[in-house]
Amino acid sequence: MGLGLLASKAMRPASRIFNSQNPRNFLFRTIVSKPELQKPETSAAQAQPDPPPVDLPPRTPVAGARVHFPNPDDAIEVFVDGYPVKIPKGMTVLQACEVAGVDIPRFCYHSRLSIAGNCRMCLVEVEKSPKPVASCAMPALPGMKIKTDTPVAKKAREGVMEFLLMNHPLDCPICDQGGECDLQDQSMAFGSDRGRFTEMKRSVVDKNLGPLVKTVMTRCIQCTRCVRFATEVAGVQDLGMLGRGSGEEIGTYVEKLMTSELSGNVIDICPVGALTSKPFAFKARNWELKGTESIDVTDAVGSNIRIDSRGPEVMRIVPRLNEDINEEWISDKTRFCYDGLKRQRLNDPMIRGADGRFKVVSWRDALAVVAEVAHQVKPEEIVGVAGKLSDAESMMALKDFLNRMGSNNIWCEGTGMNPNADLRSGYLMNTSIAGLEKADVFLLVGTQPRVEAAMVNARIRKTVRANQAKVGYIGPETDLNYDHQHLGTGPQTLLEIAERRHPFYSTLANAKHPVIIVGAGLFEREDKDTIFSTVETIAENAKVVRPDWNGLNVLLLNAAQAAALDLGLVPESGNSIESAKFVYLMGADDVNLDKIPGDAFVVYQGHHGDRSVYRANVIFPAAAFSEKEGIYENTEGYAQQTFPAVPTVGDARDDWKIIRALSEVAGIKLPYDSLGAIRARIRTVAPNLVHLDEREPATFTASLKPASSQKITLTPFENVVENFYMTDSITRASKIMAQCSALLTKK
Amino acid sequence: MAELKEEGYLRCLPDGNLLQTKIHNIGARLVGVDKFGNKYYEKLEGVQYGRHRWVEYAEKSRYNASQVPAEWHGWLHFITDHTGDELLLLKPKRYGLDHKQNFSGEGDAFIYHSKGHALNPGQRDWTRYQPWQPTKA
Repeated sequence: MGLGLLASKAMRPASRIFNSQNPRNFLFRTIVSKPELQKPETSAAQAQPDPPPVDLPPRTPVAGARVHFPNPDDAIEVFVDGYPVKIPKGMTVLQACEVAGVDIPRFCYHSRLSIAGNCRMCLVEVEKSPKPVASCAMPALPGMKIKTDTPVAKKAREGVMEFLLMNHPLDCPICDQGGECDLQDQSMAFGSDRGRFTEMKRSVVDKNLGPLVKTVMTRCIQCTRCVRFATEVAGVQDLGMLGRGSGEEIGTYVEKLMTSELSGNVIDICPVGALTSKPFAFKARNWELKGTESIDVTDAVGSNIRIDSRGPEVMRIVPRLNEDINEEWISDKTRFCYDGLKRQRLNDPMIRGADGRFKVVSWRDALAVVAEVAHQVKPEEIVGVAGKLSDAESMMALKDFLNRMGSNNIWCEGTGMNPNADLRSGYLMNTSIAGLEKADVFLLVGTQPRVEAAMVNARIRKTVRANQAKVGYIGPETDLNYDHQHLGTGPQTLLEIAERRHPFYSTLANAKHPVIIVGAGLFEREDKDTIFSTVETIAENAKVVRPDWNGLNVLLLNAAQAAALDLGLVPESGNSIESAKFVYLMGADDVNLDKIPGDAFVVYQGHHGDRSVYRANVIFPAAAFSEKEGIYENTEGYAQQTFPAVPTVGDARDDWKIIRALSEVAGIKLPYDSLGAIRARIRTVAPNLVHLDEREPATFTASLKPASSQKITLTPFENVVENFYMTDSITRASKIMAQCSALLTKK
Repeated sequence: MAELKEEGYLRCLPDGNLLQTKIHNIGARLVGVDKFGNKYYEKLEGVQYGRHRWVEYAEKSRYNASQVPAEWHGWLHFITDHTGDELLLLKPKRYGLDHKQNFSGEGDAFIYHSKGHALNPGQRDWTRYQPWQPTKA
């Protein structure tokens, strides 16, 4: 402040007068296009004289992109705006520009889809090329001189933008994409302030793609990203391009719904508002939302998500990039389950009175009642079951609590009564999800990845497309969206492969990177040990497990399973629930309630009034995954953390805090009262769980296990997930998921 | 006697403003009466310029300027020469709101509270979840 400001104030008008190019009309400056600006040649000539700067400042690649050279000899050098970059052979001009830190505007180009080159927005000027070049489709050649900010490139893009906007409706104020629209953003840079188009705009009939994707086809700019996504990633041939010229439109060839479990991703990849989320339509604007980076818990993949919330309400869920797990896609169940978080919520502690009705009570009373009953029963009659959606902290607290009560009958639902928790390799996806891309032969045993873990299925499909990998499948008839060989329905086929009688055995044995994926649904079978040892025999014979390659995988079903087995949630006796007097269900809604004896005292701690509450004597309301901080380990042993996006509902509390409070009321106070302290406790049990955002592979392979002597039964494998859209208490409470399962599941 | 009371002549005894208005009314032209009963007078001769339009409120004991509806406001304040009755014809039928006087200082029941205010009787429900109802159990 002071002299400098005064000086600049005094200087400014004078300098404007002197610098103005035509001082005659500096008073009434209007926005006019000067003739010299309209001719790119002349303005390029004006720009030419200044010599290119010798030492350019170093540039950072767009979005921190890193270049990986598969073969150092194939590196070529190109010049982007005079700045030399080294790129591997085969990269496109657009990718070279990204490495050089220049973001090229684009609509049709998407790094995970094939190149279409039909939007023409990415035009750049290349020296010695007579016309502007579509950079997304042009391979970079050695010594190429690419110019991205010349008047020719700008004028070309402005022309393209004018054509795109010609038939684009002017409904940004009522468009759900408004604020996150590529066309809106890029028209700020390349759009004209007025139109020259006076004819009628084209209009296109909207298509019905089902309950998830809303279409406003008039807004479509025919980038064909959705068509390429559907055919390449989702593996359904539902979408296509019909007509030519101005009659060109995206549609399903015949009137039908989009039946893919990944269909929600077309909402993200659509650069305009043609495909938007139907449940989110007109609910919020994207700038009102608070994004919280979190983890999905509806399956065992642990997809990275961003929970967008407004106030106390989750408005939508969108994917987050994680190359190791979900790339940039998520399944429809992950994306659209959020309305289940607002329905059927438990918000007050309740006690069932003598008349069989629930009464709302205070936490103090509810905890006192439970603590009293827990002390009245014998320790071996206490049983705890952790639910599908439990986080590691709460399972740790529950196990510690039950152990202090003298019981060790605690397990996580879905892992069976006799889980193989001794060796991590026995229940993890040892190849890792990203590692599946190297495989060339898959053997799926009793698992249907398309419904059990849609993101893993997308990886398998990607591998099948890229490597022509062969897929053999043992299990009930199913619809996998890639070419596969249905080998059989049950253990019979497995035995044949193990005895090298089956033709698929030679395929497996000759493979360079064979992968066997066993479904976690088999954990519930009586003869699970024998089946697993048969699979291990196959793995040994076909050299699936080698020092440099571990292709023996288990695909888990639930978000809690891996952490539960890491923490040792293994029941002491297999049929403890039949003789239980005190059952603690921590979000467990899929336990067989008929097995619980009638006189047992059941405590249900959870966030939804789903199945088990109707059997409960006391209800403790807890927080859902969107409301708490919790560690989840996914099926490949990748520990991740959720973050609270919205406040808890009503009087609900975090799961581990409830158990900690109960332990204090019961007089066996657990020694932790902060998140850090309970994580320190987890570190002593399973240190890999607190190494967040890191995959901890299993150290020992399964070959150390003693052979099983159980008799194998020949009953065929069953469908584990009956309905992809409704698997847990959140998705069962969701209206959107109910609609999806009514309309989209195959009858 | 009852008529005298109704017209506010009795209130003139304690209220000098009303008495002044009543005296002013003598010889003035009654231009119109609005739906609340406020009477609008005009007298062009023999009054100081700027005091030639005035209102006698229908409410004799508790009157204030916010009781003048919007359509008469313009005439009363020399914004326009169109009377309120003429301007009322221009008022949109479908979405034109009824005039409401300012109730400040008249108690909480009369005061405007925004939709989220704790004292707003038509308070919006900010609960964004639907709780589980233990009816079936």
